[in-house]
Amino acid sequence: MGESEDVPKDFIKLKSEKLSVDEVSELVISPNCGAVSLFIGTTRNNFEGKKVIHLEYEAYTSMAEMEIKKICRDVRQKWPSVKHIAMHHRLGVVPITEASVIIAVSSPHRTESLEAVMYCINTLKAFVPIWKKEIYEDEYSWKENKECFWANSEK
Amino acid sequence: MRCQVTVLYFARSAELAGLRSESVSVPQRLTSLQLWEEIVKIHPRLAVIQDQVIFAVQQEYVLLGDQLLVLQTGDEVAIIPPISGG
Repeated sequence: MGESEDVPKDFIKLKSEKLSVDEVSELVISPNCGAVSLFIGTTRNNFEGKKVIHLEYEAYTSMAEMEIKKICRDVRQKWPSVKHIAMHHRLGVVPITEASVIIAVSSPHRTESLEAVMYCINTLKAFVPIWKKEIYEDEYSWKENKECFWANSEK
Repeated sequence: MRCQVTVLYFARSAELAGLRSESVSVPQRLTSLQLWEEIVKIHPRLAVIQDQVIFAVQQEYVLLGDQLLVLQTGDEVAIIPPISGG
């Protein structure tokens, strides 16, 4: 009875609470999918010799959710067999070793979900309006993704 | 003709401007670079990030440059410093 409701779904969430790998992977599990691929972005404790105390994330939330929806739409065009997509990003303070982002994709066979997960994180880093501040012992730094789509563009 | 848009500031631009959002009167028709210049008149400290930022107008990205914008009262204009999600 429930199987007829197993239509492809996108699960997008920006939240300040700790992210859960179990929760995100369970969202995308599907009876006719043999593969769930996962990416977890975690917080490193150092940058250029400086000790990172924690990260802080902020977002243009409404636009970030829209940009993530566009990523999901693009994934389904490029890999039509992809079933469910989940992209959860944490906002606010993220302690060292905790996850900032978890992406999970299910598909019947593994190639599509593995490729789609990579596309999701690469495109998120290029297009989604979320900002990370690294807090060190004596200072802080707003990070800039090298993937940022307008980086180095001539104005 | 002018209109009243909501300007949103994020990350470094919020620190430089000292606030996260405000209502600003701007011409209805102007280039994206002219819009930037209007905002820098109000918050001169933003000038230091001119080469790094772009806009999001009604949640569509717009580079700073010659692109002609047609704005309406209530439109949302966000200053977007280089992003670092993920």
